[in-house]
Amino acid sequence: MELTLIHLYPDLMNLYGSYANLSVLRRTLEGLGHSVTVQPVLPGESVALDGCHFLYLGAGTERAQKAALEALTPYAAVLRSAAEAGLPMLFAGSAMELLGRRITDQRGKDWEALGLADFLSRETEKRFVEDVYGVCPLFPEPIVGFQNKSAVITGIETPLLSSLAMGYGNDGEKRPEGYQKGNVFASALTGPILVKNPALLREVARRVLAHAGAEVPGTIPVDEELEKGYAVTAQQLKKRAEA
Amino acid sequence: MRKFFAIVVCKLGRAVGRLIGKGSSMPGKAALKICPDILARLTLPPHIVAVTGSNGKTSTVEMIASVLRAQGKSVIYNAEGSNQVEGVTTLLLTHATLGGKVNADVLLLESDERYARYSFRYFHPTEFVITNLYRDQLTRNGHPESVYEAILPAIHPETELILNADDPLSSCFAQGHEKVQWFGMDRAPFSTDAPTGVYHDGAYCPLCHAPMTYDYVHYNQIGAYRCTKCGHRKPRTDFTLTSADLDAGVLTIDGEFPVELAFRSIYNAYNILAAYAACRRLGIPGAEIVKVLSSYTLKNGRMQKFTLGEHHGMLLTSKHENSIAYDTNLRYIAAQKEDCDVLVIVDAVSRKYFTSETSWLWDIDFDQLKAPQVRRVILSGQYCHDLAERFSFTGIDPAKITVIPAIPEAAAALESGAEKGDEALYVVTCFSDRDKLLDLPCVRKEAL
Repeated sequence: MELTLIHLYPDLMNLYGSYANLSVLRRTLEGLGHSVTVQPVLPGESVALDGCHFLYLGAGTERAQKAALEALTPYAAVLRSAAEAGLPMLFAGSAMELLGRRITDQRGKDWEALGLADFLSRETEKRFVEDVYGVCPLFPEPIVGFQNKSAVITGIETPLLSSLAMGYGNDGEKRPEGYQKGNVFASALTGPILVKNPALLREVARRVLAHAGAEVPGTIPVDEELEKGYAVTAQQLKKRAEA
Repeated sequence: MRKFFAIVVCKLGRAVGRLIGKGSSMPGKAALKICPDILARLTLPPHIVAVTGSNGKTSTVEMIASVLRAQGKSVIYNAEGSNQVEGVTTLLLTHATLGGKVNADVLLLESDERYARYSFRYFHPTEFVITNLYRDQLTRNGHPESVYEAILPAIHPETELILNADDPLSSCFAQGHEKVQWFGMDRAPFSTDAPTGVYHDGAYCPLCHAPMTYDYVHYNQIGAYRCTKCGHRKPRTDFTLTSADLDAGVLTIDGEFPVELAFRSIYNAYNILAAYAACRRLGIPGAEIVKVLSSYTLKNGRMQKFTLGEHHGMLLTSKHENSIAYDTNLRYIAAQKEDCDVLVIVDAVSRKYFTSETSWLWDIDFDQLKAPQVRRVILSGQYCHDLAERFSFTGIDPAKITVIPAIPEAAAALESGAEKGDEALYVVTCFSDRDKLLDLPCVRKEAL
């Protein structure tokens, strides 16, 4: 079938190879015989989610994130009802903070966020920059990746990663990380996260297919090099996590 | 007394360090422990020139030093790249008298972007060159705007800034600063109308985030930008590359000074221009500067010629985690006319720390290797699969691409498996991985 993936603000929120999350998702869906369109939406353009099968926003600098928030705020209600209706979406890197109730920046200024979830983000002077190795309850394979964020996030009851063996979670070292409820996925992890984690890529692809009413195959094939790359990184990080 | 003691300890430490081949930061560290404000207690040379930025620091500093020395000036500089505060302290105390006077005409410092504010807490540069600011080593630096914020406190109101007019981000340092000199490049034959590369850090104004437009672009987001809302735009330049012909390897500075390029890359052109601007501000006549910089061959080993079997190879050191360093080297390869093979190695992301972070591969414009003269591409090193996945999203014919994890095996395949065996070979990799190839028995290094 024809699937439409919306890429919000591709040039504004484009840090850490963020766009590649969409590149691999698109290829995975196309590999199953679907015809996929990636539709960019620029700041100032209207966010219409009718006919959309997946919504994506990538990582940006703290200032770019505020510009994205300003542009998205008029569509907060649209996003909330889409999330409630089960539209699969991924907010990667600093985009995750937009889903919460409020972001407090380094100067102490409060920014009303989109309110899809009831959490708070507070930017700190410190950046949390490290490799991450953790557990996602949705599948057995460990999650690998990297983080490069300045915010401490509190109030998340449904994290994407239930525990970390390496890395700074939402609100502390080795604490749970990310957010996941229904088909809404968010994580501060880069890598990019879907490229680095074939299991998560499959999980997201499954949700997109199911929500679109397409057939969901028992196994979803992904690139062989993705699997090999994952195996190398997972082995490296496991060794370090256990050391 | 503490000052005297700190200087003595540092000099002794440095002397011992040299004997046993140790690095240059320990003696300075010891001196800072003894006398934390030692840097404020020194009598420094009349000119203190600092150079910082994402790329080009080391080359720019080396060229400035060569020009100044050719003019008979005494220059102290951190040629070893020890550019954090401990290294700077070692450098100064090693060259100081026991009374704390640093005897030289010019103190020239390559300065780490994140640590400049610590080095310049106790003294400040008279001239401060900022080459550019873009995505570089994000595992350490966060992102370009956080590097910008980190440099800001290092800028003293009395310092003269020498800024890159073509860079929309580092040009923002001129905001509210009185003494600014600009260097930049006029439209050149290779300039494009819109930004190039995989990502567009010039898409939005760094000051107000409104969309930016470009009159022309030299590479990536470097060019004549113009914000559609707040007026942030490329300023008029004081020192200008008025013509640049990379194919012929000739530049003209300020309409009158020709410079021949020993290495025909746009990077080299910018570094020469930055060095020229700094030297002019130190009072050296333009003609004298270009005498030294014309055909100047960098001594810093960023490029290495070698042979591998019948291949004549050139290793282009491209910092991992720095997509623009990669992009400019790929551009250099794309501009070559003769058949070539390309070997890309990502084995250790950094030589200083472990990380498995490879998101920066997605920021590199590998599509530049989609050129008829590039006959094959070999991907090697521990992260060759991440590379292979990235390459699978380029338009390069998959039949040209081979993945060989072990570097010696990749070299062996190149040595024996080529059709002709004598085509040029370009190697793109980082300091962290280059010797894994260059030290192989089948590889013979050559002088540039």
